[in-house]
Amino acid sequence: MVVTTGLLFLSAILSWVALYKVGIGHEEADIKVLRWMDVGDMKADWAFKIDTLTAVMLVVVNSVSALVHLYSWGYMSDDEFKPRFFSYLSLFTFAMLMLVTSNNFIQLFFGWEGVGLASYLLIGYYFKKDTANAASIKAFVTNRVGDVGLALGVMTVFLVFGSVNFDVVFNAIAENSDRRLPFLGMEFNAIELIAALLFIGAMGKSAQFVLHVWLPDAMEGPTPVSALIHAATMVTAGVFLVCRASSIYEAAPITSGFITAMGAFTALFAATVALVQNDIKRVIAYSTCSQLGYMFFAAGVGAYSAAMFHLFTHAFFKALLFLCAGSVIHALHHEQDMRKMGGIRKKVPITYAAMIVGTLAITGIGIPAIEAKIGFAGFFSKDAIIEAAYSAGIAGSGSGSFAFWVGITAALMTSFYSWRLIFMTFHGDYRGDKHTFDHAHESPKVMLVPLALLSLGAILAGAVFYKYFMGNAGDFWHGALPSKYGAGHAAIAPDYLMAAAEGSADGYDTVKHTGPFAFLFNTFHGYPRWVLFLPLIVSLSGLFIAFMMYMRGEGAAKHIRTVEETGGGPLYNFLLNKWYIDELYDVTIVKGARKLGDIFWKIGDVKIIDGLGPNGVAAFAAGSAKRLSKIQSGFLYHYAFVMLIGVAAIIALVFRTVGG
Amino acid sequence: MLQTISLFAPQLVLAFFASQLLSTGAFAKKDISVGVRYFAVGVLVLYALIGFVLGQPTGTAFKGALIVDSYSHYMNFFLGMSAAAALMFSKSFFQTEKLDRFEFSVLVLYCTLGMSIMVSSNTLLSLYIGIEMQSLALYVMAAFNRDSLRASEAGLKYFVLGAISSGLLLYGASLIYGFTGSLEFTHIAQVVSEGATPGIIAGMVFLLCGLAFKISAAPFHMWTPDVYEGSPTPVTGFFAGAPKFAAMALIARLLVGPFGDITTQWQQVIIVLAVLSMFVGAIGALTQTNIKRLMAYSSIANMGYALVALSAGTQAGVKGMLIFMSIYTITVIGIFACILQMRIRNGMVEQISDLAGLSKTNRGLAIVLTMFMFSVMGIPPLLGFFGKFFAFIPAMEAGLTWLVVLALVASVIGAFYYLRLVKIMWGDENENEFVQAPKTLRGLAVITALLVFPLLLLPMISIPAQSWISQAAASLF
Amino acid sequence: MLTVISFYLLAFVAVAAAFMVIAARNPVHSVMYLILTFFSAAGLFILMGAEFLALLLVMVYVGAVAVLFLFVVMMLDVDFVEMKQGFLNNIGFGLLVAGILLLEMLMVGATYVWKDGSTVVARGDEVSNIEAFGRVLYTDYAGVFEAAGFVLLVAMIGAIVLTLRDRDGVRKQDAMSQMSRTKETGMEMVDIEPGHGVG
Repeated sequence: MVVTTGLLFLSAILSWVALYKVGIGHEEADIKVLRWMDVGDMKADWAFKIDTLTAVMLVVVNSVSALVHLYSWGYMSDDEFKPRFFSYLSLFTFAMLMLVTSNNFIQLFFGWEGVGLASYLLIGYYFKKDTANAASIKAFVTNRVGDVGLALGVMTVFLVFGSVNFDVVFNAIAENSDRRLPFLGMEFNAIELIAALLFIGAMGKSAQFVLHVWLPDAMEGPTPVSALIHAATMVTAGVFLVCRASSIYEAAPITSGFITAMGAFTALFAATVALVQNDIKRVIAYSTCSQLGYMFFAAGVGAYSAAMFHLFTHAFFKALLFLCAGSVIHALHHEQDMRKMGGIRKKVPITYAAMIVGTLAITGIGIPAIEAKIGFAGFFSKDAIIEAAYSAGIAGSGSGSFAFWVGITAALMTSFYSWRLIFMTFHGDYRGDKHTFDHAHESPKVMLVPLALLSLGAILAGAVFYKYFMGNAGDFWHGALPSKYGAGHAAIAPDYLMAAAEGSADGYDTVKHTGPFAFLFNTFHGYPRWVLFLPLIVSLSGLFIAFMMYMRGEGAAKHIRTVEETGGGPLYNFLLNKWYIDELYDVTIVKGARKLGDIFWKIGDVKIIDGLGPNGVAAFAAGSAKRLSKIQSGFLYHYAFVMLIGVAAIIALVFRTVGG
Repeated sequence: MLQTISLFAPQLVLAFFASQLLSTGAFAKKDISVGVRYFAVGVLVLYALIGFVLGQPTGTAFKGALIVDSYSHYMNFFLGMSAAAALMFSKSFFQTEKLDRFEFSVLVLYCTLGMSIMVSSNTLLSLYIGIEMQSLALYVMAAFNRDSLRASEAGLKYFVLGAISSGLLLYGASLIYGFTGSLEFTHIAQVVSEGATPGIIAGMVFLLCGLAFKISAAPFHMWTPDVYEGSPTPVTGFFAGAPKFAAMALIARLLVGPFGDITTQWQQVIIVLAVLSMFVGAIGALTQTNIKRLMAYSSIANMGYALVALSAGTQAGVKGMLIFMSIYTITVIGIFACILQMRIRNGMVEQISDLAGLSKTNRGLAIVLTMFMFSVMGIPPLLGFFGKFFAFIPAMEAGLTWLVVLALVASVIGAFYYLRLVKIMWGDENENEFVQAPKTLRGLAVITALLVFPLLLLPMISIPAQSWISQAAASLF
Repeated sequence: MLTVISFYLLAFVAVAAAFMVIAARNPVHSVMYLILTFFSAAGLFILMGAEFLALLLVMVYVGAVAVLFLFVVMMLDVDFVEMKQGFLNNIGFGLLVAGILLLEMLMVGATYVWKDGSTVVARGDEVSNIEAFGRVLYTDYAGVFEAAGFVLLVAMIGAIVLTLRDRDGVRKQDAMSQMSRTKETGMEMVDIEPGHGVG
């Protein structure tokens, strides 16, 4: 415990240093440690490629991992398998670092699979729990679908470019932009195909719609794991992949549009489901899913830096939220159902405060449209994304304006469910077991320190890093991401964003509206003010609605009772059951696959493969062995006879060809 | 004269000291078998190394009867070392069985002399003399435990069948002599290159059949299980290693030397022998309950794999055979050193079921033996894998893919019984108490285990070794 | 002409006698037929002018080996009838294999006669067999000859190892002690009274 945590804190500090050196000092490095694979033309190294993108990820991974390690001291204090837990956590961190530091697709794939494995092990950490086992298998299988995509993508990369090295591949995109490849009987543009296949991998890992089903179930794992893997780091690997391969996506406008739409839809879908969930961790899980959707549509419209920025800030406040939730759960003896909580803010004041900070951050509270940057972390990053989508929209991208409006709607819902969580958990009257409430207590210091540090991050990460991430101050990205939004995204009119970020919008505020609402339609750094204010307004609206529903009168208790009595309306149930996606999968894919599996197993495997293969050969071998031992009689003349037969037969064989 | 002596220093060393030890032992008043054994081991090591001490001279002598080249230097080294190891691990067995007699060491020396004549023979005559000298010594060693009915039976069977094989060999030799008019390999090669008549080919087949008996290739393998089972265990260990290698080396010399121009003809013979051996060895072992019988079938199968390498008929093939056989010989010595260590209260371990629970009673031994089993199976990174790798690649390159596929199938079948041993050692319940083994045996097992796994894979060993073997193989062509 | 007739006669007798070796019921008869085979072979050697080999064959194989066989057969009580039971079981298949081998050998022989027809020609210089052996045995073949000596030595060691037993209470000849006897150790002077004996 001490070793892993200590080392992680060390690496966390070092990664901040690395971020400073790379981001500000531009000391990029590409260190080849050793040749890993050298098969024909296929060459892959173990390497550390450190550019700003990697450095940002290093900071996120190491910092959150270190804090989660520390937090786990308290959270897992009464667990009997602590060494296993910490070694899994460290394994995860190792694999994640391999993923983000690789300089080629193969090592990335290795890390990708490594984090998948660690995730599987950690979700199933409580291996005595059936649901945890099922959830771990679900996560693994769902990820596998995505991984097939990623693997095919990497293979296609190798097929097209003849290399898996990032630099080589990205430099060769232009000359391969017209290649076409057959796939599934159709012809595709090679770059589009690669982009799409890689995105399928990203969808699996980052729980985008269709492949999102595993993430909520993954909450069966210990809460620190949820914070580290299923909120802050692993699930963002997909976003990282898209940003890392931004050169490819620049050249693949169709796929980028698809990513935008998919991300936006996931953001909306997950937010709707989160509205009605009762499990405190599931709410946050769907919230994660939704926020990942934000990141993807940002990447889809070409605002990679916005995506990375949101990834960065999200890591802090989402880890914070999870750890707070963990703290609550810890306080209430592993009670996760919000319907059985309420009014515990006095019992756990620090957790409460941290949770409020996290919620303010995720809902994006801040003051828009002024030169001074004031606001919580989420304010900067989420608004940047929404602005990017708006820009794409007005520049003519259909998926861009879809994303913009969805982003606004989802922001409303985000605010609602986040505050609902706060109100149901910390306010009102306690609705659970009296005994548990009496014993509720604030968590130990090892758990609170990470909360405090993450709160700090959730407050400041946005304001401090805004000018670097978005404004590219001091050439922060230094070519790691397309600094000017590239040719493929000409539609976005990139200068808007840059101008907004750099605060040097002169020349863009050209449109002067007049009239009663002119203030709103006049632009600030290139954006109409209503665009800038809208996210804040919907956030506050969400807060207001939640307050009205859960704080007035009987509040939460009344809603819970209503649902219990009436069973809830159809829409409520539709959302509660997550759009019945799991049921749909169960009917179509799971049952179908099981049937297919049965056929393969009973006929294909048992009869054909085993029958003719291993079992058949084994039976044949056993039979022959019996016959052989019969010949091996022990009589000399039998032996001599066999020798003579051998001689005669061999001479006959040789003479057959000689023709003597 | 001096040059001849330096060329044949290895054989001279053996002949001189063997006779010296024989007379010393015969005239000694007391039993001096222990001293003779250590001295004989020293002689064998000297024999193995003297070619290198003298700077690896090459040439022929005795009017071309014997040839000395890199190939024979390599073989002398390996035969000497493995014979020395076999002699070492025979010590404790013979002592506990009260069989220790100085003649055993002398016979091992003469046997090695025969083998060294075999591997550097350059005429059919010296080939035959070498084989007979080796075989006679082996017959006697098989029956060395003369009070045991099984050992006597083993010796007799080996002798009678060996006589038949010698008959085949002589018949082949006389056919070849008749059709080429010479006993010398170089002259035979010349006649063969001008056109091989059926007489020469028939002679070659007979010759090969006689030699196939010596390497126990199917269908000339029938003696192997009985003799392996009946002979004293250290003798079996010796049988499985050096003599096989020597006969295999002789076959290689014969095939690429005098018969180098009729590759297509002998290739068929070798392929038939290889396929039969691999499958007879793999399948026959399945039902065995006796460890020594199991090792007999294992060695039959392994001869098949070595023949696969030879069947390529190329220099790479000979090299593959040398690598495979070298690794096989090391492994066999190790396995027998392990088997000889296992002694339960009522005697030596002979039955496979006696191994049950070895992992609990003697973990170190179980680990070492397991490693050998995995090596013989051909599991990387153990050396056995590379043996098979280098044996099969030349056959692939020669277009014999189907043969390699068959070899792999046989390997899979063979893996079964090696794994069964491993399973019994690690999985089954302990029934026997093992007696502590003497130090020499343990040391030998550990040394060979180190050779099988980590040491020989080190680049500073494997690279010179490979170039050495390549050089040896090249000297035949 | 006489040579040809004697060749076929001897060859026929050799093959027929060899067949009788395995066909005879009485093992002693078998050995006798074996001796006949050896004699016929010796006759064939003489026809080819290899008189030394012929005499060697008679001396070693007939004089020593076959007689040894005869002793063994007569001294061991082996039930040959029973042994032949198994032999007869496989006779059909055995004949088939033998037939195939014969056919193959005939093919070899046929090509020898029809294709090149090279025959063994006696050396031009008129030296006797023994002289010819003598010229090469210790010169060209010295190494092999020495090695052959070692083969015999190994066989001797083997015979001794497998059969010699040091048993107590058995009277043995000890040449050294016999030769180193002196009058004092070997003789004892005793006065014997008539009618009493030694003791």
